[in-house]
Amino acid sequence: MARSAGEVRRLTVALLGNPNVGKSTVFTALAGIPTRIGNYPGVTVEEKVGRFSHRGVTIDLVDLPGTYSLLPQSPDERVVVEVLAGRMADVPRPDCVVVVVDATNLSRNLYLATQALELGLPVIVALTLADVADRRGLSIDTLELGRRLGCPVVRVAAPTGEGIDALRERILTASDSPAPAPIALVRPHDSSRAPAASEAIARYASIERLLDGLVQAAPDRRRLTEDRIDAVLTHRVWGTLVFAAVMLAMFSSIFWLATPLMDLVSAGMDAVSAFVGDRLPAGPIRSLLVDGILAGVGGTVVFVPQIAMLFLFVAILEGCGYLSRAAFLMDRLLVGAGLSGKSFIPLLSSFACAIPGIMAARTIENRRDRLLTILVAPLMSCSARLPVYLLLCGAFVPDRPVGVSWLRLPAVVLAGLYALGVVVAAIVATILSRTVFRGPPQPFVMELPGWRWPQPLVVLERVREAAWSFLTNAGTLIVAISIVLWALISYPRNDAAIDADVAALRASLATQVAAADTDSDREEFAAELAALDTPEGLDAARRGAAQRQSFLGRAGRLVEPIVRPLGWDWRIGCAAIASFPAREVVLGTLGVIYNLGDVDPGEREGASALERRLKAARWDGTTRPVFTLPVALSIMVFFALCAQCASTLVVIGRETASWVWPVVTFTYMTVLAWLGAFAVYQFGTALGW
Amino acid sequence: MASLDDVTVGSTVLVRDVDGADPVSIRLLEMGLTPGIEVRLVGRAPFGDPLELELRGYRLSIRRQEAARVVVGDR
Repeated sequence: MARSAGEVRRLTVALLGNPNVGKSTVFTALAGIPTRIGNYPGVTVEEKVGRFSHRGVTIDLVDLPGTYSLLPQSPDERVVVEVLAGRMADVPRPDCVVVVVDATNLSRNLYLATQALELGLPVIVALTLADVADRRGLSIDTLELGRRLGCPVVRVAAPTGEGIDALRERILTASDSPAPAPIALVRPHDSSRAPAASEAIARYASIERLLDGLVQAAPDRRRLTEDRIDAVLTHRVWGTLVFAAVMLAMFSSIFWLATPLMDLVSAGMDAVSAFVGDRLPAGPIRSLLVDGILAGVGGTVVFVPQIAMLFLFVAILEGCGYLSRAAFLMDRLLVGAGLSGKSFIPLLSSFACAIPGIMAARTIENRRDRLLTILVAPLMSCSARLPVYLLLCGAFVPDRPVGVSWLRLPAVVLAGLYALGVVVAAIVATILSRTVFRGPPQPFVMELPGWRWPQPLVVLERVREAAWSFLTNAGTLIVAISIVLWALISYPRNDAAIDADVAALRASLATQVAAADTDSDREEFAAELAALDTPEGLDAARRGAAQRQSFLGRAGRLVEPIVRPLGWDWRIGCAAIASFPAREVVLGTLGVIYNLGDVDPGEREGASALERRLKAARWDGTTRPVFTLPVALSIMVFFALCAQCASTLVVIGRETASWVWPVVTFTYMTVLAWLGAFAVYQFGTALGW
Repeated sequence: MASLDDVTVGSTVLVRDVDGADPVSIRLLEMGLTPGIEVRLVGRAPFGDPLELELRGYRLSIRRQEAARVVVGDR
């Protein structure tokens, strides 16, 4: 190729390989942190490009999804074929293909490599895990392998950097070389098979011939050790026990270990809010900055510790080879619901928070299984639902034994709410997999890779990438939604109407004090009346009045006919709508709407103040209490099943690269939540609970 | 003819054929379950499904449904 002097030379190199062969290790060793991560246009297949330069040549390294064959069966594999053919928009046709080949599993890996030799592009084979192969007593004649394949073969050990420079050098020379000749396939005599089947058989026959005499195998002690590890870890009893222990450790770390970090993030954000709040005069600007923007930023950043913690676990388990064993152990449990073993970790993590759970669904290669897992993950009762459950169970579910003295009713209701999510998820997944997602059976073939030590750099990169993609892709949208909701809660604002509302409240309390039947009632109303004369009490009452007049308050009145069959008054409807950014907001909103101001329901005092206020709530103009046992149950069932979490919906949108799925999720979950709440309220009322 | 699903845990058999010409059988062939290759049934998951196989020096997991398509015989 003729080039004018001074022109910067650029090459595009594709990185191809089977899953689990250390492809990402090679990518990191060659190019470091990727310069571009996103989805290929129109599909949910991840596009990852890194850039490095060698001898003045700029090289764009395209990391292709792990694939077993260039005869594509999945969207991921189709993308690989399209990129290699130069038919993918915004990726130029590669100048050269680097095929990553696992030295411990040569014949199956060469299947893809020999297909790559037929592309008409220069090919380099990067032989990974050769050190492991050495230790297993497999010695491979690299030079001879290259001669027989007709392309350069470079031994690389990414952790030590061995062979990485040689690989860079080969990329430059190979890109200027002609494409190698394809390996002639040994065609079978019988032609009764389908062309694709006979091609597969012929290819393996050619590979066996090609490898003949190339690999020297010595008796292998390591292999025996690996067998022993496997014998325990995939054993029916021991394997299950180890699995339970690993999952417990993982779950408690995202549930409990991440909590101090999340508290730290919250405290930091509170400090920033206070700092900004103190320096700005009270008014719409301060309110927008503190209650809108900063609250949204804080609400985004707070998820990062859980995401990082979960991905740390997943990356380590993936790196050492346990992730596929976990999927192997759990597959049967999930396959009945139309899911697969790989759905287990994402679903389990969703009990802590659906956001890292949905992101962990990236480990599911099968697109259909991944989508199904994402759609049902928000049904798992996450930690944000727990304060709602605890407050309402504590306040309205009678503390009486169920059968035995130590088993109390509130605990049974709590367990029931967790079970409800799981059962509904199983039913939804079963129905979806037999209707919307019905299709030709997809083969479940999963490699159980050899045991190895996870690479720290690859693990860290996975954690960094997950946290970063959440902050940049989802975070911006979450902040935007937070600002919109702030506006809906803050406007319209009419000070005269607020004063009138507070005056009306004062008058009504005065009448109630006079008309109270019991001394305790009288004291309570008197205390409430007295609170209106304190600055805090007056402020809380004014905030409550402002919220009742806002768009949100109006929306609450608008939806009252819809929530009435659930036993809710318009205030609960309001709080449910306001909890769209995050479920736990419902308690804070109830606090404001019932004139308590900002209570922290997480704190004992805040919770008991809110409890008292909720118990005292009456239907407008009557003495009938709003919160009864059936109403409390109906609220809890609603929150167990609803999709009131904007961040989850945003993450679903980002992970599926489509706005259809968050809309579908929100719709189906809200309908189910309404039906569940309706059933439990009507049933409970009919039984006279 | 016996299928891979009928094999007892720990035994090694020879693949004779893979039934069908649909994507599932193509993928099984592509994963190396070709006629003439030796396969060992390493174990079964806690609920009896899926299976863990060893072939061509690596470990593969397939479900019973897929294993039933692989026709096997004695070595």
